[in-house]
Amino acid sequence: MALPVLICDDSLLARKQVRKSLPESFDAEFQTAGNGLEALAILRAQEIGLVFLDLTMPELDGIGVLEAIKAEAIDCFVIVISADIQPEMKKRVMELGALAFIHKPVNEDKLHSILKQYGLI
Amino acid sequence: MSTLGFSEEQRDCLQEIINVAMGLASDKLARFLNTFVHLQVPSIALVGASHIPAEFESRYQDTEAALVSQGFFGNEGVRGEAIVLYQMENAHKISALLGYEVGDVSEIEMLTDISSILTTTFLNGLAEQIENSLSYSAPRVLSSVQGDMSSLLRNTSFHWEHALKVDISYQLVDHSFNCDMILLIPGEAVTNIQRILDRILEDY
Repeated sequence: MALPVLICDDSLLARKQVRKSLPESFDAEFQTAGNGLEALAILRAQEIGLVFLDLTMPELDGIGVLEAIKAEAIDCFVIVISADIQPEMKKRVMELGALAFIHKPVNEDKLHSILKQYGLI
Repeated sequence: MSTLGFSEEQRDCLQEIINVAMGLASDKLARFLNTFVHLQVPSIALVGASHIPAEFESRYQDTEAALVSQGFFGNEGVRGEAIVLYQMENAHKISALLGYEVGDVSEIEMLTDISSILTTTFLNGLAEQIENSLSYSAPRVLSSVQGDMSSLLRNTSFHWEHALKVDISYQLVDHSFNCDMILLIPGEAVTNIQRILDRILEDY
């Protein structure tokens, strides 16, 4: 059964980079969001298995999304894909319950090893 | 971004490449300053280089300011001059953070270091994403006593046709720190950049 996946990034290029970095065999149904508020609206209304989440975004940033997911106990895996690569940011993201912290730009190697590690591919 | 013929897709692509490059530069700066840097999305704009003195005059004219400039060149006609502008008031905050005396001779060295970190890390990050590699000339510091910033800017931007402005604003833990980065590039560079962006976009 296809996994419901949400890709949240304000950049169209970044959203496409995620899609392109996933293996062809990855059976998923994709939705996209351009900021944190859009992402939360989708997460509250639907069952999403996996979220690829950017941090620096307008309206609501990725940290805000992670905080809401935690507070509302929304059940989903979150992989953060960030241009802000400071160790302290990674620490914050992991403390908020993200599965992994990937440095932008995302590519196949970075994504495959994480997905494999968690048995998602 | 003011256009000069960029499509919405090209603009999005350039902004994302710049965000990633700025993330690398911020991480380097944070390590150098041993603090956490709150990263904001840099606003970018492409303008005619002749507009540069007028655009920055109000922010830097009636205050002690410094300009650090560094030339860069790579493949496919990618070349230009990166300049970073500071109000000395801002620079003093960083000096204090690093334990320098205000007005110390080494304060200029510190500015050169910070500018080098920002521009070379930023430009290397940019170059890597467009599969290019860059070389740099030694940085040059021009400090302005009150009032002559616009002539410094005029002399520096005179030789170039276009300018890519990148507004950098950092919030450090206890301080705020602003500076402006301007990439001065020749006329043909805009066409080159568009071609490179289109090539990246074709991949997706």
